[in-house]
Amino acid sequence: MRFRICDLAFGLMSLLCIQFDSARAEPLSEAITMQLNPTVCALSVSDKLCKTTVHVQWRATQDESLCMIIVKRPDIKQCWEHYTEGTYNVDLTFDQDVIFQLRDLELQNTLASATLRVIREALQYRHRRRDPWSLFG
Amino acid sequence: MQGSLIKQICIITLLTWSSHVGAADKCEQESNECTAIGKWNVGMAIGVGARSNPLLEGKSIPLVLVPTISYYGKHFFLNNLDFGWTLHDSASSSISFIASPGYDRVFFYRYDLQNFFVINQVVNNGSTATTTGQAFVSTDPNPDIQIGAQYIIRRYPDRSRDITYLAGPEWTFQIGKVSGQVDLLHEVTGKHDGNEIRAALKFPLISSLQSLSCSVGITWKSAAVVNYYYGDEAIYQGDSSLSPFIKVSYSRPLGTKWKLLAFIHYEQLGSSIANSPIVAMDHVNSGFVGALYAF
Repeated sequence: MRFRICDLAFGLMSLLCIQFDSARAEPLSEAITMQLNPTVCALSVSDKLCKTTVHVQWRATQDESLCMIIVKRPDIKQCWEHYTEGTYNVDLTFDQDVIFQLRDLELQNTLASATLRVIREALQYRHRRRDPWSLFG
Repeated sequence: MQGSLIKQICIITLLTWSSHVGAADKCEQESNECTAIGKWNVGMAIGVGARSNPLLEGKSIPLVLVPTISYYGKHFFLNNLDFGWTLHDSASSSISFIASPGYDRVFFYRYDLQNFFVINQVVNNGSTATTTGQAFVSTDPNPDIQIGAQYIIRRYPDRSRDITYLAGPEWTFQIGKVSGQVDLLHEVTGKHDGNEIRAALKFPLISSLQSLSCSVGITWKSAAVVNYYYGDEAIYQGDSSLSPFIKVSYSRPLGTKWKLLAFIHYEQLGSSIANSPIVAMDHVNSGFVGALYAF
């Protein structure tokens, strides 16, 4: 019985760790990691767009030549040649998740990926007041 | 003339109106019937319009810049100068407890807020906030005040009409495409302790991208309300009054932020208001054509 409880606890912890990692970054290669700051933009009911400066940082265990791109944003691209780490700041305005990727110089292979997520406050609706008595009602 | 035209339009509407499409049971998106909870809606209408002032020597009130603001919480709502708490809300009916400013003050004070927040309400006379009701009336000859053969012209009634609020239950409903509203209100700001009933029905004529509708309604005011605005202990005491109105309104979106708005409104003043010595007209006409910008 004790063994089963430990198994269950380990399983839950593993599941939580996987979910946490997937929220921060998705390393495709153990040798290269990428982190974003911030990782989440929360939109309130009255907000339509996220507008923030995103700090991107990557590290590698050996010299790498790579480029950082943002999916569906061909105007943003930053490359490094023979570096083990790099940082990049970019001002972004967006209303959907933004996917950052590290790719080789030919942009063919994805080496690491991280997602800046947009969380919207759940909108609830109600009926407007019916006011035919008023002038513009 | 204007009133009879509106009446004819409404009668035709009533005769031809036959489609009954129920409103959406549940609000799931922004629409004419539904709005997002927790979101402020602010707008400004720019246009040309005016409301007549029935007071003796009263000047028409221009309508040029008309702000509008609303906010809906889960139960609370603010609708320009009205606010309330909704106890029950469904597609077919809503019951709220509301508070709304006393309406007649607009004729005495040019800068009453109701002369600006017209979109959902409106009007004045050219006087300032400190000198109001500057109408003059020729009274019957009175030995005490008669001088020779001349009548004394009395300044009447030179007193202030304070801002008042009325509060009470409001029932609004939807039957097919027709929407209705009934307010039972009592003055709660300690000025005259009067009562008011506001009721109206709105009949849509066109409700596609553009909207054309006709509304008919009444405003009943108790004697306390009538006399607070139009009476004087020494000269005139009115009874309760019943004032019917008719209105035709039109709107059409102009892009995502702008909307074309227009209305004409005719109100027949109750006899106890129209018979007051400071009232020169027995009706009020209003009209506006302009564009509303939603921020």
